[in-house]
Amino acid sequence: MSRGMPRASGYFRTDYAQDLALTQTRLERASLLAFAVMLAAFPFLATAFYLDLACQVFLAAIGALSLMLLTGYAGQISLGHAGLLAAGAFTAGILFREFNAPFWVTLPAAAAVGALLGIVFGLPSLRLRGLYLAVSTLALHFVVVYLGGEYESKRGYSTGIMIDAPTIGGYAITNGRVWYFVLLVAAAATLLICINLLRSRTGRAWRAIRAHETVAEALGINIAAYKLLAFVISSAMAAVAGALFAYYRHFVSVEAFSLFLSIQYVAMIIVGGMGSLLGALLGAVFVTLFPYLIEAALQQLPNAQSYAGVLFAVNYAAFGVVMILFLLFEPLGLVGIWHRVQHYFLLWPFKHRPVAGAGK
Amino acid sequence: MSEPALLTVEKLEVVYHRAITAVQGISLSVRKGQIVAILGTNGAGKSTTLRAISGFLGIDDARVTDGSVTFNGKRIENRQPNEITRLGIALVPERDKVFPNLTVIENLTAPFAPAHYNRRDNEVLAYQFFPRLAELRSRTAGLLSGGERQMLALASALVCRPELLLVDELSLGLAPVVVQDLMARLVQIRHELGTTIVVVEQSAAAALNVADYGYVLENGRVVLDGEGARLRAHGDIQEFYLGQTSSSDRRSYRSVKQYRRSRRWYG
Amino acid sequence: MQLAVNIVVLSAIYALIACGYVLIYRVSRVLNLAHGELMMLGAYLLLATAASFAGNPVAAIAAAVVLSLAVGILVYVFLMRKMTGEMVLAAVLTTVALGTLLRGLMVLIWSAQQQYPGQALGFANPAIALPGGGRISTFAAILVVTTALVYGGLFVFLRFGRWGVRMRAAGQNPLLAAQRGINLHAVYALAWGLSTLTGSMAGMLIALDSGLTSSMTVIGLKAFPAALVGGLDSLVGALVGALIIGAAEVLSIQYIDPLLSDVVPFLVLIAMLIVRPWGLFGTREELDRV
Repeated sequence: MSRGMPRASGYFRTDYAQDLALTQTRLERASLLAFAVMLAAFPFLATAFYLDLACQVFLAAIGALSLMLLTGYAGQISLGHAGLLAAGAFTAGILFREFNAPFWVTLPAAAAVGALLGIVFGLPSLRLRGLYLAVSTLALHFVVVYLGGEYESKRGYSTGIMIDAPTIGGYAITNGRVWYFVLLVAAAATLLICINLLRSRTGRAWRAIRAHETVAEALGINIAAYKLLAFVISSAMAAVAGALFAYYRHFVSVEAFSLFLSIQYVAMIIVGGMGSLLGALLGAVFVTLFPYLIEAALQQLPNAQSYAGVLFAVNYAAFGVVMILFLLFEPLGLVGIWHRVQHYFLLWPFKHRPVAGAGK
Repeated sequence: MSEPALLTVEKLEVVYHRAITAVQGISLSVRKGQIVAILGTNGAGKSTTLRAISGFLGIDDARVTDGSVTFNGKRIENRQPNEITRLGIALVPERDKVFPNLTVIENLTAPFAPAHYNRRDNEVLAYQFFPRLAELRSRTAGLLSGGERQMLALASALVCRPELLLVDELSLGLAPVVVQDLMARLVQIRHELGTTIVVVEQSAAAALNVADYGYVLENGRVVLDGEGARLRAHGDIQEFYLGQTSSSDRRSYRSVKQYRRSRRWYG
Repeated sequence: MQLAVNIVVLSAIYALIACGYVLIYRVSRVLNLAHGELMMLGAYLLLATAASFAGNPVAAIAAAVVLSLAVGILVYVFLMRKMTGEMVLAAVLTTVALGTLLRGLMVLIWSAQQQYPGQALGFANPAIALPGGGRISTFAAILVVTTALVYGGLFVFLRFGRWGVRMRAAGQNPLLAAQRGINLHAVYALAWGLSTLTGSMAGMLIALDSGLTSSMTVIGLKAFPAALVGGLDSLVGALVGALIIGAAEVLSIQYIDPLLSDVVPFLVLIAMLIVRPWGLFGTREELDRV
């Protein structure tokens, strides 16, 4: 995990325990602890509105992390992420409606459906690369959404499927604070899984495939297996995020899983910074909060009420502008900015930047 | 030989990725109407020099960091390739030298010729030196043989009506007979159009047979230069590029070079 | 008979849009996912010129066509030009971002309500009875003819026009093209201009025929499978692909389920990607290039 993370000179790892540890220095441990305390204290200080925002961020983070595994590390582009979320949400919704299944059945079921779809999404990747793969995932998105819509209209839930709150031992999770912690744990668990996956053989194989497929194959990496694995893991995670989303909203509808949602997830990993889990998290925060920032900004303008009807259009436009700006001027995303700031302080008062490309 | 220099390269330095120096202080001078050979082994800096002249460095994240390239009195280093072509320099690259899915005739249409030449003129010019192309005119370029492809590449470069023709590795992958023929065409082009020609070659023998002047590069520097005939007679050239000494007393390539070079510089 | 007419009209729509994807892809290897939005922008431009050239429909249409060409060139000059030399994928994502931006802007400027540029221009759209018993609306007929003319024009231009040959050359080997004095930026700008022009013509004709809503981008996106099924770098392919997609869509709406209309093109696309990823008429090496 230390890849690309700048440290002052004189820091070396001297045994395997250090290599396995998630945090390296005392400062890192301290700041991580402080951050954890902040996260734990947040729901007791925040209003319901901010609590909801935080929950949305956690859900987005799970989705963004899973997409980052696939695109940022294994190098397989997907424009159909919303389709996977939809698959998870519909699995939960349908199982609940048809069989009244409890959440400890529906969540694993969503993961299983996601994994299965991952294979379907991933199969084209064995033959296709880059654009063609992106296109096939785009196509699959439409298929999944169509199937969801079919179910809705055939079963008469034309406005969407209602889902009851999940219950544990007779206690229904309806409270916002409880949801906050449930989703926080889910997001943290996802992050931990990702971190450990990436520093294992699997993660190294993915990076090798991303860097150069033919060379990776020559090194004895089973390209097909690892590509499919990337799709399966990523899709399963996304589907679980979708199912959690369904429970959190008590509601599933195809309307929520438009192509725009896929674009938003792609935006998260672009804005955050490709090839960095931190980037996925930052991107999730940014993309989730962005519409609210826009709304708040519009509120400041005179006759704010008249803009209410066009808010979504302003969102679209502003979103497009932000993505373009990042693609043009900061391809490394927020993480790139963050690392530059870190470098600046580490090297201060010197200004030499490391030779481009040598740090990787 | 009283003609003024058409192309002057002075103390050229090229750096790749802001880190690797491929050419360090090369100076060359090409007079109007000359055929100049640039020789050297792999990694000597031949191709980089050629790219610096033809404007192709930007694509590989390389830059001319020092020195100058002057063509017809104009500084041209770090300019766009298409601008340089319109100033009168055309390059025949080492690989991918024709548009494979276009026909021969389309390959002769695509290049940017000065406005007063029409398509017919371009064809006439091409067939003047390479009559074989006339038979192949509607053949797809990707289906041509190596020699035919090289002819088409030379012809399509000529369509740009260059004053200076740069040819990278003319002999690459071609039979000696074909190479000989193509070299003879270069002489004919120089003779009939007055085009100045720079050839970059690993195979020194073919190039030195037609060149008026030659430069030998090594590790990004010019280590030897002189008139074609004198270079051909030079001991090092005979030994390492022409392979004319008997194999029994051939010495280790690097050590001898180091030795000779230091003698030339200090002795 | 009516079924055949419907297939031809829908295929013509897809074909007219798909050639825009092919033009840009063929020249610069970029997949323009903002094509649907650019096409809709063309339709809105017609709405705008209809208001300023009231009473002179021909001038309004001509102005809109010229404007759409300019839009395409501007998109290249101010946005896509910066992405040349970057990874292809970054360029594609830029077009996605552009599409999002355009969609927002268009709703802001023209609102999301259904509009009728045909009425604004004072055109009626009577149905024409065809010999075999089918009917076709006037503008649908014009659209089919336009598609035929556009394809004919493009074939001639790419085969015999100097700049047409240069566009093909730049698509095959941009380095060599630059070396032969071809200004790559000019070629790319031309490709974007032509692509937006043809797309906009499709947008305008659809809007004249059946009105203009913000859902028009979906049609643009559905034309994309047509381009890919035929082979992304082949104009003939786009034509055949459009016919296949159009037929599949009309037939499945007729005989299976109207809801399928949005998904059938993508089902055909998936099938094609599994069987023959480079498309019916595409070049096989394309797969390794991207």
